[in-house]
Amino acid sequence: MARNASPARLVIALSVAGVLAVFLLYTSIAGGGNPSLAPSELAGRKGAVQLAGLVVGPVRGDAHDGGLRFKLKDINGDSRTTVAVLYAGSVPDLFKVGRHIVVDGELKRGTFVAEPGSMITKCPSKYAPKQSGDESA
Amino acid sequence: MPELGRAALLVTLGLSVYALVAGVAAAHLGRRRLARSARNALIASFATTAIASVVLLAALLRNDFSFTYVARSTSEALPTAYTISAFWGGQEGSLLLWLSMLTAFGAAAVSLNRSWAKDLIVWVVPVFAAVSTFFAFLLVAVASPFATQAAPADGFGMTPSLQNPYMLAHPPLLYLGYVGLTVPFAFAMGALLSGKLDERWLIATRRWTLFAWAGLGIGQLLGSHWAYVEVGWGGYYAWDPVENAALMPWLAATAFLHSVMIQERRGMLKVWNVLLVILAFSLSLFGTFLTRSGVVNSIHSFTQSSIGPWFLTFIVVVVAASLALVFWRLPRLRSPTKLESPISREAAFLYNNLLLLALTLAIFWGVVYPMVSEVVRGEAVVLGRSYYDFFLRAFGLPLLLLMGIGPLIAWRKASLRSLLTTFRWPTFAALAAGVTLLLLGAGSSLPGLVAYTFSAFVIATIVMEFARGTRARRALGAPSWPAAFGSLISRNRRRYGGYVVHASIVMLAIGVAGSSAFDSVAEAKLARGESMRIGSYTLVYRSLDERTVSNATEIRATLGVTRGDRDLGTLEAGKNAYTVEDQVSNEVGIRSDKLTGEDLFVIAEQIDRDGSVYFRVFVKPLVNLIWIAGLVFLLGSVITLWPDRREQRRLVARASEAGIPATP
Amino acid sequence: MTLALLLAAALAVACVVVVALPFLREPEPESDVLVELDEDERRRLELLEARDRALASLKELEFEHRTGTTSDEDYRDQIGPLRREAALALQALRRESGKGRLDDARN
Repeated sequence: MARNASPARLVIALSVAGVLAVFLLYTSIAGGGNPSLAPSELAGRKGAVQLAGLVVGPVRGDAHDGGLRFKLKDINGDSRTTVAVLYAGSVPDLFKVGRHIVVDGELKRGTFVAEPGSMITKCPSKYAPKQSGDESA
Repeated sequence: MPELGRAALLVTLGLSVYALVAGVAAAHLGRRRLARSARNALIASFATTAIASVVLLAALLRNDFSFTYVARSTSEALPTAYTISAFWGGQEGSLLLWLSMLTAFGAAAVSLNRSWAKDLIVWVVPVFAAVSTFFAFLLVAVASPFATQAAPADGFGMTPSLQNPYMLAHPPLLYLGYVGLTVPFAFAMGALLSGKLDERWLIATRRWTLFAWAGLGIGQLLGSHWAYVEVGWGGYYAWDPVENAALMPWLAATAFLHSVMIQERRGMLKVWNVLLVILAFSLSLFGTFLTRSGVVNSIHSFTQSSIGPWFLTFIVVVVAASLALVFWRLPRLRSPTKLESPISREAAFLYNNLLLLALTLAIFWGVVYPMVSEVVRGEAVVLGRSYYDFFLRAFGLPLLLLMGIGPLIAWRKASLRSLLTTFRWPTFAALAAGVTLLLLGAGSSLPGLVAYTFSAFVIATIVMEFARGTRARRALGAPSWPAAFGSLISRNRRRYGGYVVHASIVMLAIGVAGSSAFDSVAEAKLARGESMRIGSYTLVYRSLDERTVSNATEIRATLGVTRGDRDLGTLEAGKNAYTVEDQVSNEVGIRSDKLTGEDLFVIAEQIDRDGSVYFRVFVKPLVNLIWIAGLVFLLGSVITLWPDRREQRRLVARASEAGIPATP
Repeated sequence: MTLALLLAAALAVACVVVVALPFLREPEPESDVLVELDEDERRRLELLEARDRALASLKELEFEHRTGTTSDEDYRDQIGPLRREAALALQALRRESGKGRLDDARN
């Protein structure tokens, strides 16, 4: 057929189109990700979000029996807002009061009900520089 | 002696700047002695960086807490091995490691006797110098490892999760990979600057690229194994930005290693190859930036990090400058040949490249999406595991299939009829495997089934290639079958080493598919004497013990394991409570089946006061293939990397034929 | 403290010496010009690469045909153009080197 046109161009064009199609397919099926919010931004939010915050005690309850209850506050800034969280499922090793954690879930009647097993602690390791205030304060 | 360290870094900066300026001047004006001098400066900068490293290492080993870096990352009680690993445990030390490796690679790459490429190397020196100027500047002015303070009584110690043998090898291997990708970048830029866009820069850097790529690959696999065995959440890869940081340059380098072959054989894809090298190097800088600057989920931390803005500026400058160079040299990068048919080996390699690139970009998009959305929409949106899993399947499965097709399809133009003949047996093997697995119940996961079918296809092609090649070598006069096999590999290390690497990737795919698509999980709260079942396993919770060791209290639950009627002994899972660091860590119990590669993985999630334990148990079929794949990958890389004298002789002969004298 | 400074000074001096070495060794060299490929040589290198590419392709094609990876049909389709490519590269090289020899003779 079109002997003078380079198939390389055709191949690249087709591939790019293919990749775009896959991308569109993905976004139309799965939608975007969840917005990541701080506790102070949560008020009045509907729908599934990701909540990142600092654990405030006391931590009560049983993660595998009725759920763990604790509060989260902002990591940055001086907002004093806290959000009550109800969480069930596996609890990472590093979870404790004062740690940064991330949970997925939804605000229901003033309590952030987390998806079971969604908790991630922000690893202090992974070579991230230790905040200088962390240990001495 | 922090002064010596600081001075050594300052001298390194001076040498780098000199090598940059003098190198450019010498190459531009064609001055031999000045070029020599610039090269000497680059080599000397390796010595000075080494001195700085020795100073830091000595301070770590002596627990000299007057070094802020030492006090922050170690303590008196820390075992010596981890004191050494503290070198790359923090930001400043790891930057110093980067610079040491960079100058070592630079010195080695420009002083290895490459008589056939010396007109190129003149321009490679200033490129290396430019990169090392940046790192030396960071170490001198922004993040000095030699900052001092009034010595505290003890250091802050190291996070328990980093106190681990894996942390001795995993980070340096990754850095070896990140930094190693500078070599192809420097040669590519050298070729662009000098206008010598023949294939010598590719040949000069092929082994360096392979080396860096193998380092990245093994380093990542070690990291995965660490996550699996030590972190204890039941997986080995979480699509964490820091993990992706190493995966992206690896994928880009994989694409480059393949497309290089097209340029060498057909003279095509010259621009593409240069672009891939730029991409791989930029991604390795980006990876270092991600791991080092703490900019992961939010730009807020970006402004807090001291090196972040510098790094980002440098990446932008690197990308802009190298793209400008490519654009400038575009007329010289025209290929003499064109793709003749979309069904040919070069086309298959091109598809492979596009898929690898698409996967890289999808991951990149996932990594930067939180930051982009924070800027655009005002709130960070995080893409989860499903995003990455989707693209791994969408692009990874076709890649797997191409791995079987690419090496067997004819160059230039393959006829459909001969395709049918070539792939008759592999297709048959794949279909047979697919149907068998379907009958065995693997239809529960479609992607898993497809992955296994494709894997069978690829394995069949690899076995066929080795068998036919050996037979041909034997027919050509090899005295015995083993000799025929040996000569087959040694005559074309890249091809057959490549097949070994392909086999390792197939093993990896089988392991990943087995452990993620066909795994099972069960959880239960058990009191002593109670039992739970998962698959064909029965676990009985027997006892709970507490022992105190030097720095931790270890609590262990003992489980009796049986499968069917067979007693498989006991398994321990529990937690360690570290007293000084006030931290708890999961210590998982793993029972590997040596025959099937299946793991029984037990986490004691919650240990209650009354002695009852909440267990979470996984059965992960074939997961051990992933770790074996690492060994096979290493073997294949070594075969491919092994020096080839014949090739060296040919290159020297060609260069002298063209008029480059063979004297250094 | 002072020892460290002394060492640092020694280090700096040593580095200056290493950097200056090419000039110290050859204060008045016969030629201070880098080896450069001129246009002819560059062209010859490209032709040599083309020749080696064609020869390597031929060798690979022969072996792949022998192993059975390449079918008779594909082999027949490819051997002709490849041979022509190799022959062309060799011819061009012969012409070039003839010209080169003439240049040398003139100098």
